[in-house]
Order: sequence, then structure tokens, then C-alpha cells
Amino acid sequence: MRAARRKGLGPLVLIAPAAVLLGIFLILPYLNIVVMSFRMPGQGTPYGPGFTTGNYTKFFADSFYLHQVANTLWIGLLTTAICLVVGFPVAWQLARGTMRFRALAYGLVLSPLLVGIVIRSYGWTILLGNAGLINRTLTGMGLIDRPLPLMYNALGIVIALVHVFLPFMILPIMAGIQGVDPSLESAARSLGASRFTAFRRIVLPLCTPGIQAGCILVFVLSLSAYVTPSLIGGLRVKTMAVTVVDALIDTFQWPWGSALALMLSVTGALCVVIFARLTRMKWKVARP
Amino acid sequence: MKRPVLTLYCLLVYAFLLAPILVVVGASFNAGNFLTFPPQGLSLRWYVTFFHNDVFMRAIRTSLWVAAVATVISGTIGTMAALYYVQHAGRWKETVRVAMLAPLLLPEVLTAIALLFFVYAIGIGTTTMIGMVAGHVLITLPFVFINVSASLESFDPSWDMAARSLGADRLTRFRRIMLPLIKPGVIGGALFAFIISFDTFTISFMLKGIGTSTLPIQLFDYLRTNFTPEAAAVSTVSIVLTLVVVIVSEKVLGLRIHRF
Repeated sequence: MRAARRKGLGPLVLIAPAAVLLGIFLILPYLNIVVMSFRMPGQGTPYGPGFTTGNYTKFFADSFYLHQVANTLWIGLLTTAICLVVGFPVAWQLARGTMRFRALAYGLVLSPLLVGIVIRSYGWTILLGNAGLINRTLTGMGLIDRPLPLMYNALGIVIALVHVFLPFMILPIMAGIQGVDPSLESAARSLGASRFTAFRRIVLPLCTPGIQAGCILVFVLSLSAYVTPSLIGGLRVKTMAVTVVDALIDTFQWPWGSALALMLSVTGALCVVIFARLTRMKWKVARP
Repeated sequence: MKRPVLTLYCLLVYAFLLAPILVVVGASFNAGNFLTFPPQGLSLRWYVTFFHNDVFMRAIRTSLWVAAVATVISGTIGTMAALYYVQHAGRWKETVRVAMLAPLLLPEVLTAIALLFFVYAIGIGTTTMIGMVAGHVLITLPFVFINVSASLESFDPSWDMAARSLGADRLTRFRRIMLPLIKPGVIGGALFAFIISFDTFTISFMLKGIGTSTLPIQLFDYLRTNFTPEAAAVSTVSIVLTLVVVIVSEKVLGLRIHRF
């Protein structure tokens, strides 16, 4: 019996601090914010007495916020799709290429992760601004008369977000491709499949988990991104995360801000579930 | 080079990844009062301005302090949790993994807001650093956990059993078997935790108190109203600090970092 007790309690000491930390500083705050979203708006205080569903009805009644959610989702989708198209060949080369400089290439992919998001977004404002490097170079070469509108719009936000989150797409896909035995491909080729068919029927289905992981990660991260849309979009284009944070910092409307933040997260989670369902079904059909 | 098109494409992507970082470093040597192209000569004047700017120097100290404290706490807690996960979790394995990765999977903006309301709900507010440090521990915990549990992937329980049958006590077994195995994982995880904490924005932005802005926050505030190359000098120093930490730990400790 003593042995059983030691086996039961001893190891639990290892997990206890993490459990306490996550319980107090993650689970309780999340429960609290859900409750907060049903509170009455306050008069001069962050929130008033009593409960209401008004924050949510306000959200659904006002087309401004629905429009903004749609806009945020659109930016997230676009960022994810571009990251996938841009990142896949790089992941492929990193996983399969016989490069001498693979370590260097891997370091290049990882390097943006070591530089803070504020600094990277700042770099894009230097590049994309009306008097920025790109516009100055193009006008200097006489290719354009007026500066191209690269900043303070959705285009600039997407360019910068693709840069910020591209490593999160490349790394899981690379891991996925590395997990596919190259001899499977050779086998398919030797049985008469074209290079494209071998890729579509063998490699793509096998590295789908990597692609899914990358897409979900980039999509979720771009939905909740604050710094990049705030610096690049300025006051002109606001994504949901920017609206939420500004609502809380400038106006202290806690219940309303909570409801907005939760609606954004729930919408994002729904998209992820739909995406997971759709891709799984599609790949099942694709398999023989 | 077997596939020139693919190689060229990848080189373009690498250039894209490096461009904004190189531009910031380049801009920091601009001698002009504003970020103009081409630069009005080269100068280190903005570095001098930065080193004499108390607001930025205090922010750097705050950042380093928070990152150090958060790294020690999440390094300890995360390592213990990883040991439990690999050795003892049993049928709870998947639950433990999801719970430990949760801060990474949940939107950071929502976590930050939830924490802000919570510290006010329990009455401590942002007058202490508890909320900010807790937030930093929370978001760095998954990285320690991933790294340490990855380093234990090759762990074979029979090694422990063999040592036990040879008469080694619990402490000796931990010191001689477990510690050498997890050491690279712990160092790699702690390093990543430090860098993530040093660079993180949203958590610090929501939970900062008066006079406790971290460097990214101070930089962001500065960028909203100022256009001098001083911000570029601040950024470059921040990048160099990170690089030094990475290179030193790579050379001295020869570690491998698992991010996923």
C-alpha cells in the first residue's frame, strides 16, 4: 500500500505547479472573461451591476462589426493562402534538396522568429510607406509618377503578415515532407506515374497533416495579430483585434470588449473546425 | 544545382524574409533627422541618442528582468511537467500535452485581455508585476515543455530499471541518467522562453503598469508618433542582444532547438 501511495502521489508533485499555474492564470481568467461579456455596461466604471445578453445582440445588430469580422477573416485567409503558396516550395527544398547550404537556409527561415514582431512590422513601414524604400526606388527609376498605395490598406497588412508568419507555415510542412519516404515516390514513378501524379497521389496526402498544422497556425495567429495591422493599417484599416484592444484601452468598456474578443475567437475556432473537416474529407476522396 | 527555378524561387523567399530586418539595421546608421532614402550620410548619432534616452534604457532593463524571471519560472515548471508527461502521465498523456500547449493554441490577444480583467478581479491590478510575469510564464511554458519532452523522446525506462537493479538510489538515477538526457532540452527551451518573453508584445501591452513598459511596448509607442532613425537604432540593439544570446549558447552549449 505504501508503494502504491508513493507511485500515486510522488509523480503528481511534478505536474502540480503547472496545473496550479494553468488553473489560476489561464482557466480562471477565461471563465472570468466569459462572465464579463454578459455584464451590464458601466457608467464611468468598467462594468455595471447585473447581467445582460445585450453585448452580443449589439454585435449581431451592428453591420459595422460583422463587416469588420468578415474583413479580418478575409485578411487571415489571404495571408494563410499566400503563406502556403510561398512556403511550400521552400519547405520542399529544405526537406528534400541536396543543398550544401541547408543549415544556412534553415537559419534564414528561423531568423525572423528571433526578431520581435514590432521590429519586423517597423521594417515593413520603412519599405512600404509612401516615402518608403520601394516607392522611392520606383519613382527614382521613373517607373511610377505617384507612390503606390502599399501601406494603410489591406494589401500592406497582408504583405507584412505573410512575412511575420511564413516560418510557422514552412516548419510544419518541412517536417511533414521529411516524414514521407522518398522511395514511395520512386515506386510510383517506376509504376508509370508522372512526376505530378506521384506528387498528387503520394506525397500530398502523406504530408497533409503538416500542411493542415501550418495553415491553422498561420490563420489563428493572423486573426489575433495586433501590432502588424495596427502599425501598417494605421487608422484607415482596422482588423478586429485592433478594434478590441483599442476599445479596451481607450474607452474601458470591459463587457463590450470581452464580447468582441470572444466573438472573434469563436469565429476563428469555427473556421478552423470547418477547415479541418473539409480538408480531411477531400483527402479521403483523393485516396484510391 | 539540379532545379534552378526552385532554387531561384527559394532565394527570393529568403530575400523577402530578410528584407525588413536588413532595412531596419541599415536605417539605424542614417545621419538624417528622418528616415529618408537615400540616407543622408552614415552616422552613429542615433545610437548615442538612444543610450542617453532614459525611457528606452529603463524599458530594456524591464524587458531583461521580466524575461529572466519568466524564464526561470517557466523553465522549472515546464521541465517538471515534461518529466511527468514522458514518464508518468499514462492514459492522461494527451490531456497533459493539450493543456501544456494551450497557451500557444489560444489567441494571445484573448489570453492577454482575460488576464488583465483577472488581475483586476482579484484586486492586484497592474500595480505589481505579478500579472505581467504570469502572462510571460504562460506563453513561454509551451516552448520549454516541447523542448524538454522532445529531448526525452529516446528515453528508455529500462535504463532507469537497470540502474535501479545495480543499486542506484532515486537521486543518483536522476542525476546520472535523466539530467544528462534533458540538459540540452532544458537549455534550448529556456533560451527560447527568454527570446519569446523578450520580444512578446500583446501580453505586455495589456498588463503593463505605470513605468513598467517593456522594450517592444516603448518602441511601439515611439513609432506611433516619431519618425526618427532612433527607433531603428533601438531595434538593431535589440536584434544584436538576441543574436548574442543565441550564438553564445550555440557555441558554448552546442544545443539544438525544437520549436515544434
